[in-house]
Amino acid sequence: MILLAVPPSSLLCVLPQYDISGLNSAGKQLLNFWTHGRMRSGRSGTNGWREQRKRERRQQWLSTAQRLSSERRERHMEAVLKNLASTVELLAVAAHSDVVEQWDKQTLSRAFHWARYCEHLFSRFHNNSAVRRVIEKQLLLTNQSLRAALPGYTEVSFLDLSRSQHHLLVGLLNNPKLPSSIMTTLFDSKSPADTKHIAYQDVTGLCSHIIQCKSACKVLSPLTGSSAVGADAEVQGVMLMERLDVLLSQSSEACRTEHFLDSVLQGCEGAAEHFCLVIAAALLTMKNSVAETASQDFLMDWLQKKHNMLRHMCSALPITLLIDLAKKHLKFRDAYCDVLKKWASDMEYSISEGEWVQTTTNPTVSFLKLTEHFQALFETCPSLRDDVKKELNALKISDGDFDVRGLSVWGDLLLALNL
Amino acid sequence: MSQLQPLTQLQQVTEPLLNVQEMQFWLNKAVAWGQADSPDAQKDTCLHLSRLSSYLQHLLTHINNMSSTTETMKRLPFLGQFLGRLCWNPYVTADDTNRRLLFQCLWGLYSEHPSNAVERKANQWIRKVLCQLATEEDDAAALALMKCVGVPPKDYHLKVLRKMVASLQENIGKSCNSLGKINQRCSCDSVLATSEACVPLVTCPEAAPLIGALLQRPATCVRAALSEDFLDALSSAYSSQSLSLEEQAVVSLWYHSLSSLEEAVLSLLESVLTRTGSTAQKQVAQSLLPKACAQHCSIFLVVNDIFRSFLKQTEGNECVKSLIQTFTSCFLREVALLQPQKCVSLKAFFPQSPQALLAPLLTLPSEMPQEAWKHHLNWLSSSLQRLTEEEEEGDGDGSSGTNGHHKVFEAWFLLVQCAHWVQVTLQLLGTSGPEDCGPLLWLLTFYHHPTNRGHHRALQLVHVKEAWDHLRSLFLVLTRPLPVDHLHSLVTLLSPQPQQPSPSPFLILSLLVNFAVFSQQSPSGSTQILQTVVDRSGLVDEAVYVLSSLEFRLNEGSCLSSDANRVHLRIEALQNTLTRMHAV
Repeated sequence: MILLAVPPSSLLCVLPQYDISGLNSAGKQLLNFWTHGRMRSGRSGTNGWREQRKRERRQQWLSTAQRLSSERRERHMEAVLKNLASTVELLAVAAHSDVVEQWDKQTLSRAFHWARYCEHLFSRFHNNSAVRRVIEKQLLLTNQSLRAALPGYTEVSFLDLSRSQHHLLVGLLNNPKLPSSIMTTLFDSKSPADTKHIAYQDVTGLCSHIIQCKSACKVLSPLTGSSAVGADAEVQGVMLMERLDVLLSQSSEACRTEHFLDSVLQGCEGAAEHFCLVIAAALLTMKNSVAETASQDFLMDWLQKKHNMLRHMCSALPITLLIDLAKKHLKFRDAYCDVLKKWASDMEYSISEGEWVQTTTNPTVSFLKLTEHFQALFETCPSLRDDVKKELNALKISDGDFDVRGLSVWGDLLLALNL
Repeated sequence: MSQLQPLTQLQQVTEPLLNVQEMQFWLNKAVAWGQADSPDAQKDTCLHLSRLSSYLQHLLTHINNMSSTTETMKRLPFLGQFLGRLCWNPYVTADDTNRRLLFQCLWGLYSEHPSNAVERKANQWIRKVLCQLATEEDDAAALALMKCVGVPPKDYHLKVLRKMVASLQENIGKSCNSLGKINQRCSCDSVLATSEACVPLVTCPEAAPLIGALLQRPATCVRAALSEDFLDALSSAYSSQSLSLEEQAVVSLWYHSLSSLEEAVLSLLESVLTRTGSTAQKQVAQSLLPKACAQHCSIFLVVNDIFRSFLKQTEGNECVKSLIQTFTSCFLREVALLQPQKCVSLKAFFPQSPQALLAPLLTLPSEMPQEAWKHHLNWLSSSLQRLTEEEEEGDGDGSSGTNGHHKVFEAWFLLVQCAHWVQVTLQLLGTSGPEDCGPLLWLLTFYHHPTNRGHHRALQLVHVKEAWDHLRSLFLVLTRPLPVDHLHSLVTLLSPQPQQPSPSPFLILSLLVNFAVFSQQSPSGSTQILQTVVDRSGLVDEAVYVLSSLEFRLNEGSCLSSDANRVHLRIEALQNTLTRMHAV
């Protein structure tokens, strides 16, 4: 049952007559259709319009509930797709066309309103694969026509819908034809007196607020040095887990979710260390439901297959953080242990330095550091001590069971760890 | 200056306003701060924020006075560089005032119709900088993740900010266990650093919980001091009403910052004095000050000091007196709420008042039976009389002159704070006979005229007694027509007489209103008397004020009357009459 809030078509009498001389014929056709198909003269007082819209929206909800039929549902869907297509076109126009020269505060506010509508569509249907497919089909068509009409057009995907307001803002600010009055509205600071004006409250000072927020983060970040993970990694970890929850709940195909994680990893190519923090934060988030715990397990399973990632985590993250992870996830503890053993096996004894050093891996880990890792693990998981002791002994024996330093890394480890 | 003067001369006039050295100073600062990556740069930026905003305001005026951007760039070649550098300093852009001024300066350089390459380039540069500031993301990993996960940057940054604020708030909240040992390290070290860093964030609503936590942190440790710049920034934000703190945080702000407290008290006084007195009760009821006073004795003492000086300056203005009384009763209610079980010693709150009078005056009339009122007031009146006599004797000696004045003033101030007893006095005077009226009339006169300048008190008492006699006779007469000569004398007494020391019109008017409400005279009779007197003396507004104050007090229950219903009907009838007069 799809209950949709369908904005009335009067909302689209937003935009004034365009100067469409800069577009080719396909583009002109498109814009003509968009403008004339929906233009309607009438009152456009802002507050009355909003109240009217709210009323109409409520009425629509009620009437929908009363008369349900699949036919009606289809018609709703049609309307939604039409609105979606219009808004995507709007975003394109905002970024590429000269018509923004004629925009005023009202137009701006309504444009952002429509962008919010798209974000709403995303949040409503991102875990409904049937509707999502329909929307994606529409986007395909819209993208095609826009690509033909506007040079330099970048396509919009379903995922991009979640960031429609941002896209609109970026498009507008990069459009050299944007009037300075619009820009001053966006960058205006909201003075206390202005908060009484409800009209255009959403767009006045929008950029000013964004900048304030970003700067405030930068101001406060040196103070949060005590936190191991950092607020940004924590938030990103939460974001990642939320997305995982959604993906896992909607599809039984595990590979799709794995593919998603792989793409994220790829995206963070240049900032591997930061990504380690994010994964750690994600694995350490508190889980309230069974489903959420399952997502964390899934992430852990995925991580286990990424040996490079694991190694990087173990060398880059502070030991306290690794221990927290080991305490929470048994699989991580075992993987951690494996990494440490792998490090040890990569070591060769350097006579000049009188110490075991790593030759193959990068960045390198010192023998001392290795023992610190093991000690920390043993302190938290005493049961591990005996298991590791047995393993190391077995390895030492396979190496020849020497008791002299410098011949078997396993023997030296046993000595260093007092096992 | 005539309009025919050439432009160059005007420019010459504005030239001395811009100091080249100042520009150089600020430019050097901006270069040294860079993007505020080092702790020193961060600290220095915070220290200079308020001065920077005045300089930017100055620059803005200068830019707006110029006729074109080309001209501005010619005169201030480094302006672009300066503004550009400031844009990338997060400590400057986080602060509301500085950010606003910075952007306004940039817009001042924007040309709607660029006439040359310089202006076109400037336009492009301005657009680029603003676009970058609002949309660029320097954290590539975060950006990639945001795209994959489908989270808008605005939401992301807001979440990160809130998370930082929450974790810092937690840190601040941790109590210190150092037990005052100076050399021992404790968690309070971060308090000073945090407060310094929060200087640009005082008006940021998301940072309000952190600022509240900083303010409300109990000052147990030596190290847990708040930065002075932080407190200054808070108090200037408070005066421009751009703070968004919750109640307890505001109370803590007042506790820490004397200037904010003074600001709050003065604005309360201003709002009360600029509107009619009946809304004074509402203003005080809405104010946070009584609660703050109940929580911190020091705040109450400061507030009272301000009240005292105001009272002296306005020479006992009725509105101020009424405000003080309302404020004190709200305060006492808050104190009772705070510590309902404990027997509160209010001595700490009233250190300067005569201790013997404290308990008797602070007791509310509702806390004792009505029959005891007269006796209580007699005692009060004689105590106060004694005090004034001592002062006058002291005057004659010349030994304890100022000390005596001080005592009398403090006693009078306490009476003003506890003016519910004056209300009771008026009520009783409306119903008592000539044999008991002496002490009551003295008390009333003292309330309105505490100083005995030129030894006029005796004369004033005579006039007050006269007025009271007239009123008695007017209201005791149950047959019509009314004794005209009494009416006439009353009106004369109410009119201002500069030669003689005459009792305050308010005093007489209060007596009149109380008679009208409480005497045995018929309602129509009372109304007629009141109407006539008020009409002839032209004191309609004042009568309305007195009547509504009386009604408020009765509603509060501090002067409970056994025939409350009758009284309320009376008041209503009188109010209607006065409103009709007002309309005419």
